[in-house]
Amino acid sequence: MKKVIENKLLREKLVHSRHRSGLDVYIMLKPGYSRQFAIYATQYGSNDSQFVPRGRRDSITVPDGIAHFLEHKLFEEEEGNVFAEYSKLGAQPNAFTNFNMTAYHFTSTGNFHECLDVLLGFVGRPYFTDENVEKEKGIIAQEIRMYEDNPYWGVYFNLLRGLYHDFPVRKDIAGTVESIYQIDKETLYECYKTFYHPSNMALIVAGDVDPDRVIRQVDELFADGPTGNGAGEIKRIFPEEAKGVNKNRVEEKLAVARPIFALGFKDEEDVQDGDRLLDKLIANDIILDMLMGTSSDIYDELYEEGLIDSSFSSSYTGERHYGYALMTGQTKDPEKVVAAIFDEIEKRKSQPWEQEHFTRIKKKKMGEYIRLFNSLDSTSIQFVSMLFKDVRLLDYLERLEAITYNEIKKEFNELYSKDSSCLSSIMPSA
Amino acid sequence: MLEGRNRYGCIVFKGGEWKLKDIVIENLDKNTNLYVIPDKKFKTIYISYCFHRDLDENYTYNALVPAVLKRGCEGYENQKEIGKHLEEQYGALFDVGVQKRGERQILRFTMDVINEDYVGKDGLLAQAFYFLNRIITKPVLEDSMFREDYVDQEKENLKNRILAMINDKMQYSMERCIQEMCQGEKYARYALGSVDELSSLDPEKLYEVYRDIITGSPLDIFVVGDVDPGKVSALIKNSLDLERSHIKLIPETIIKKIGIKQREVVERMDVSQAKLNIGFRTNVPVNQDEYFPLVLYAGILGGGPHSKLFINVREKSSLAYYAFARLEKYKGLMLIGSGIDQKDYEQALEIIMEQIADIEKGRISDMEFTASVNAITTSLRAAKDEQGQLVDYYLGNAITGARHTLEDFIREIQKVKPEAVVEVSKKVKADTVYLLRPNEGDVEN
Repeated sequence: MKKVIENKLLREKLVHSRHRSGLDVYIMLKPGYSRQFAIYATQYGSNDSQFVPRGRRDSITVPDGIAHFLEHKLFEEEEGNVFAEYSKLGAQPNAFTNFNMTAYHFTSTGNFHECLDVLLGFVGRPYFTDENVEKEKGIIAQEIRMYEDNPYWGVYFNLLRGLYHDFPVRKDIAGTVESIYQIDKETLYECYKTFYHPSNMALIVAGDVDPDRVIRQVDELFADGPTGNGAGEIKRIFPEEAKGVNKNRVEEKLAVARPIFALGFKDEEDVQDGDRLLDKLIANDIILDMLMGTSSDIYDELYEEGLIDSSFSSSYTGERHYGYALMTGQTKDPEKVVAAIFDEIEKRKSQPWEQEHFTRIKKKKMGEYIRLFNSLDSTSIQFVSMLFKDVRLLDYLERLEAITYNEIKKEFNELYSKDSSCLSSIMPSA
Repeated sequence: MLEGRNRYGCIVFKGGEWKLKDIVIENLDKNTNLYVIPDKKFKTIYISYCFHRDLDENYTYNALVPAVLKRGCEGYENQKEIGKHLEEQYGALFDVGVQKRGERQILRFTMDVINEDYVGKDGLLAQAFYFLNRIITKPVLEDSMFREDYVDQEKENLKNRILAMINDKMQYSMERCIQEMCQGEKYARYALGSVDELSSLDPEKLYEVYRDIITGSPLDIFVVGDVDPGKVSALIKNSLDLERSHIKLIPETIIKKIGIKQREVVERMDVSQAKLNIGFRTNVPVNQDEYFPLVLYAGILGGGPHSKLFINVREKSSLAYYAFARLEKYKGLMLIGSGIDQKDYEQALEIIMEQIADIEKGRISDMEFTASVNAITTSLRAAKDEQGQLVDYYLGNAITGARHTLEDFIREIQKVKPEAVVEVSKKVKADTVYLLRPNEGDVEN
């Protein structure tokens, strides 16, 4: 079942095939590129800490940080380490875990099909022993310590703890040094069996490759594997999230030169539908640029007052069940910055921006989106994270074109207010 | 084709154009070179104007100039006007930057503009060159000087950026290691300048330094994307309005060879994780043949998951999440970095030093060797897919006088024999062991 998706405007071609195991395979054809990039990902992240394991009736709660721990451990093989296999082939492997997904990827500039064999092979072949699980704890503990010293990471996670009462996005992806010491091989296998079924996964390949050969390769590798039939939906259990933010203010002291702030707005619309999610992503990207982009009045004012500098940035995160807008940067005075932002928000509710501003930002977004396709790595990672929330990345331009200023105003009025916000600050410890 | 090095260490190409398979190089005047890398696959055109400066006592001035220029120019007098303009141009990216490459500063003015074919609008590329020229040559002036408020604000911003280095402990600890190691050398200077220099900055001198940059500093212009080199050259000649009056001499970076004694520096801070960094002198200048085995040496030691540091410090001893070695090729340094628990300091240091001793004794497995050759090959080849990486590579050539394309470089790496790596490893000498450690805990190490 092969389907070719073409976007003439972008000049991009994509081949999609769904394997009988339920695995979605996408191949992005990129003639002229020297590298090949492949990413094999499962819809399983740190948020999935409570679920009903495959083949069982009752739900379990697993230690925080286990999805990330599992990511580390999959690289371990009975005969050594996957890194060695990749190294022989000259590929650069890596992996990451976020709130909603775990992904394994490599970059190669040759031996692509051999590398793909390695990727699909090791992710499908867990090998956990008491000894190798113990060994990893020291490594991950140092990874956690490294993040503890990172104020940009700290300001962000503190914000999420301020925005959310119970939703698991408030917990660190890697867990804590204490929680990872509770992880054992049995629980790892349980998580693996539940979430690493091909029907819960996707493979994205980008490069100057033969798509038919990739599809054949998957067929051969999964010939004896499970089928999608009867795989069923995974039952994930999320706590009921109370309305409103957990806290308006969160502050921590760290060894920093001057304060770092992150202002978040909690989106309470529980979105399930991919098309709606894409519209929200586009709308909020436009809003944030109109509100606080470099051509906005308030950016200019705050910059000249020395309250923000080029470290300022903003973004919107929209996932199934949760979303938030974020503005962050370094400042001499977090309270002053947010007071000015709140004033601006109130002002814009009664005196919206000019239509011309909206049109201009739309153009900017169009360019940003086209630019994304320069990078195989970024495109593939974006593609798969969108795919997992039923958003079709290649629909972006069409939806961007269609979005109206009225939709933007509505979204702006609903999400951006003092009441739905939290300010997280990192203050200098010395 | 190749005439040799001129006084500031760049290659001069006589007769206008010098063609390689991947790149077209044109000498625009005695002090300005244009490098065009035409490649159809890119959807944007990446442009970078790079001025070369000696990392001399004016380094803080050099660092401040691009930040002031970024604030506005004739026609786009403030950030808001610039912001609007860039948005109109389908979100063209514009930025300035300062980097250290050996004992020189590179002042960069960069744009990334959407290829006109994708948005059906003509003139985006011409606009980009026009805009960059304005930024570089037509700043907003007041009484024949930079606007005072722009200078004051950018002084403050630059100071904050210098101080913010401490926020990233990995970067901070490495910079500190380099500063300690290169005390008294130009290379100890931080690319963004010094806070003390900023506080006593003379605005008149700032403008003089700016004039000196645009009239005399070597300039390399890079353009990467789906372009016609002839058209690009014409667009630049039409837009670039520089009065080049003299050639600014840039001395060669000094590679310290003698008087290397291992020393230890410990710094305390409010951190959870200790950073153990070690600085080495390679004694190998970048433009010598021994440089190729040196690249492999650093790869085998700490260039990825196949390397001795990754396997022995991380995988076998579980002491660190990261442990790497990398070269500062222009200055002849090798730097090792790792994040560890303070209590494991001695053990980690011992394991690291063992790996180095092992290579000197010739203990390099076939696997380690092949994997390193392959990893380096892959990252060089993969650079062809990133406009910024391509520019960095060819800017490196402009600095060192090398003339290898990426493929030439790969061929040189693949020719290296393990014996040559062992040989070069003996030249690499430990200089400074730097430890950033948490405040609490015992005083001795």
